[in-house]
Amino acid sequence: MTTTIPRHASADDPRVLLDEEIGVFEPVPPYPPRTEREAEFYTLRDGEMFLNMGPQHPSTHGVLRIVLKLDGERVVDLDPVLGYLHRGVEKLCENADYHQTICYTDPLEYVSALFNEWAPCLAFEKLMDVEVPPRAEYIRVLSSELLRIASHALFMGWMALDLGGLTPILWSFIERDEIVDMLSALTGARMLFNYFRIGGVNGDLNHEFMSRLGDWMSRATEQHAANIGLLNENEIFVRRMRGLGTLDTATAIRMCMTGPNLRATGLPFDIRRAHPYSVYPELEFDIPTRTEGDCLARYLLRVDEIKQSLRIIDQCLHQMPDGPVMAKLPRLLRPRPGRAYGAVEGPRGQYAVYAVSDGTDQPFRFRIHDPSFIHLQAVGTLMPGNLVADAMAVMASLDPIMGGVDK
Amino acid sequence: MTAVSRAWGRLTLPGKVVFTIVPLLVLLTIALVVAIGLFGTLVVDILIANIGIVRFVVAVTIILLLSPPIAFVIIYMEMKIIALMNLRLGPDRVGPWGTLLSTVHGLKVLMKEDFTPTGADAVVFTWAPVVVFASTIMAVLVIPFAPGLFGQDMNIALLYFFAVGGLTIVGLLMAGWSSFNKYSLLGGLRSAAQIVSYEIPLTLSVVGLLILAGTMSLNQLVELQGPHLDAATGQMTGAWFTDWFVFRQPLGFLIFFIAATAEGNRTPFDLTEADSEIVAGFGTEYSGMRFGFFYFAEYINVFVLSALTVVLFLGGWNAPFDINGIFAWLNSVQSVVTFPTAFAWDVNPAAVGLPLLFIVALAPVLATLILGAPFYLLRSSTKWWHAILIGFVLFNVLVVGLLLVWAYVNFEWAAGLFWFLGKTFAFVYLFVWLRGTLPRVRIDQLMGFAWKWLLPASLLNLFVTAAAVLVIGG
Repeated sequence: MTTTIPRHASADDPRVLLDEEIGVFEPVPPYPPRTEREAEFYTLRDGEMFLNMGPQHPSTHGVLRIVLKLDGERVVDLDPVLGYLHRGVEKLCENADYHQTICYTDPLEYVSALFNEWAPCLAFEKLMDVEVPPRAEYIRVLSSELLRIASHALFMGWMALDLGGLTPILWSFIERDEIVDMLSALTGARMLFNYFRIGGVNGDLNHEFMSRLGDWMSRATEQHAANIGLLNENEIFVRRMRGLGTLDTATAIRMCMTGPNLRATGLPFDIRRAHPYSVYPELEFDIPTRTEGDCLARYLLRVDEIKQSLRIIDQCLHQMPDGPVMAKLPRLLRPRPGRAYGAVEGPRGQYAVYAVSDGTDQPFRFRIHDPSFIHLQAVGTLMPGNLVADAMAVMASLDPIMGGVDK
Repeated sequence: MTAVSRAWGRLTLPGKVVFTIVPLLVLLTIALVVAIGLFGTLVVDILIANIGIVRFVVAVTIILLLSPPIAFVIIYMEMKIIALMNLRLGPDRVGPWGTLLSTVHGLKVLMKEDFTPTGADAVVFTWAPVVVFASTIMAVLVIPFAPGLFGQDMNIALLYFFAVGGLTIVGLLMAGWSSFNKYSLLGGLRSAAQIVSYEIPLTLSVVGLLILAGTMSLNQLVELQGPHLDAATGQMTGAWFTDWFVFRQPLGFLIFFIAATAEGNRTPFDLTEADSEIVAGFGTEYSGMRFGFFYFAEYINVFVLSALTVVLFLGGWNAPFDINGIFAWLNSVQSVVTFPTAFAWDVNPAAVGLPLLFIVALAPVLATLILGAPFYLLRSSTKWWHAILIGFVLFNVLVVGLLLVWAYVNFEWAAGLFWFLGKTFAFVYLFVWLRGTLPRVRIDQLMGFAWKWLLPASLLNLFVTAAAVLVIGG
């Protein structure tokens, strides 16, 4: 079947029909449609137009490109185009030895890098039957819960920025900066830490980290209250978010969504409780849920999670045992052939790694399950029918990080 | 010389035009002054015979010259205040406390390349910023800054203001349509929908006030809110802030302020340039001085709308209290201190005689030394010439301050300008504060708010006022 798409003209003005000659970009692929869906999408009905949003756009959270089909200001349909940040991390990891893998997975979800290190560590430790010392486990929990707070704080700021509020993002960055400075005292880096190792962590807690942490913990609750006070009571913010982009539990499960986006629909599924790992069974914390499933619920759920993370950090500091922070391991790791699956609860949801070993010093297969990519599917069902402004709010509320989406 | 020619070469066409016109205007003014000096009464007679035209030309010149500085001040205020709200430092490099940064931005846009994108309608694209800027500038013409300090006193000034202010949409639509960019198109259409909707409550909210005042001249409106002869009682009334229209038309004031925020495209109604949705709206494709015109127009618009709010509802140039009345009352209840109730500082320099020379010659030096001395004596790290410099600056500040106080006391317009600008910039601060705090509303919420709430409320205000005037009789 040969179908030709009629080239879209922006206006009835005959000069404007010279699109191709004057080189004006229309977001139509330069090839004939490969699927029926593509043919349908790139055919405009009366009164519709394409709007190419991204890859450079102030609020696409990185380099996501969405081709929106608009009717006035209302989104009729959309076509997300991924891959602008694709680096082939899985393949890179399959060509690196087990230790090197961790620094490749680090920049995937770059605002919460420790979780990206944790999942492969977990998988490899299962593969090699390594016993991680308890102190190392507590340090892992402590540092990654700190990073969860930083990531959620940043989400709150971005959410407000995408709705036009200038101030919250800068307040969030202050909070994130404090946490990241603290972690840099512990790990030596502010963003891509490369701190977790197979069988433990890279270094023990030090004095600067502990003093910064104590200083921050003494005012974290008030600071958090001040930050959310900017937005939670704001009539404009709440009115724009309530009832927008509603997901129900069944749809969310069908889309494999996890994390806050799933919990906002009412299902208390959290890997830390459902499939416990590390020392989470020894720690007390609640799994906050909300039933509305809209953007406001997703936002408020993260606010609640910050409080729970503060609780976990507090317990970690009280229960931290003495001992080594690294298991005794050979320098070159050659696990016996087999496969292992390690999943952690990241700030965005289930972050998992599936590793297959063939007995050499490199993983035979290294598969990354990234929550951002999974959650980005939802824009296809949530955006159509909303206005352009709300489309951006919906995307922000799902909190995707393009580094993880494109891998 | 090469430096000058190089800088000139880097200017774009609008820059060259601006830098040619401004010295020409200054030269023209100097020529006028010289002509009056040389030919005296003849020139003055000719000017007085055509006072309307002269007034118009002078007013337009002054407005054109003063509007960029006003915009610079507001831009600096916005940068600094929002920075402080964001817990940042804000501008602090160019000039003292970064005060010159907005000026440097203004010069920068003059030197930037302004290109016309492929496919744009070049003529419309070029003229759009001019239309926006001109319509904003034209609105300044009727604003009474102080007694006797206004461009034109029209009896339909308010109508003129709304008419000219409405022209802004034409420019924004031109910009949005001609840019050949869909973000611009959305921004232009949003602005058209928004401004057309908010013009209605904006205009209706002041009708109640007009019924009360019985005039549309902004000058008379301000005078009605200050000390004036009450027609009914035949006595002087209204020296206090209680006579301001905001207390008689609170609902009208609220509607007017909200509608003015939307009219000026300010947060939370800044949908036309919502950067998280449509990049920069109608201004997406603009650069250089064309963008600068939009930018200036936006900030002058903020000033103009604040000024109009002050003129209509907050007494314009009138002081909020009657200082002479307070002093007279104090004198009547106590006899310890006698406050002057009428200022008349008629200092005759000739009567002072030779000591005047002494004062003029020695006072600056002495004052500089005396003011600088504490800094030298109390801080060992201060160098002596630093102390002298500090002393000199303090002396100048003192002199300027005294001059301002003297002007305030002796000239009605100086006092009026003080209160007018004080109130206006308080409103500018309010606009900036809103921008630092609030997120943006959605387009349907925006329109719903205008048609479902503001319009009925302004109609209610109008009917209640009219009924009250009918029943009570003004």
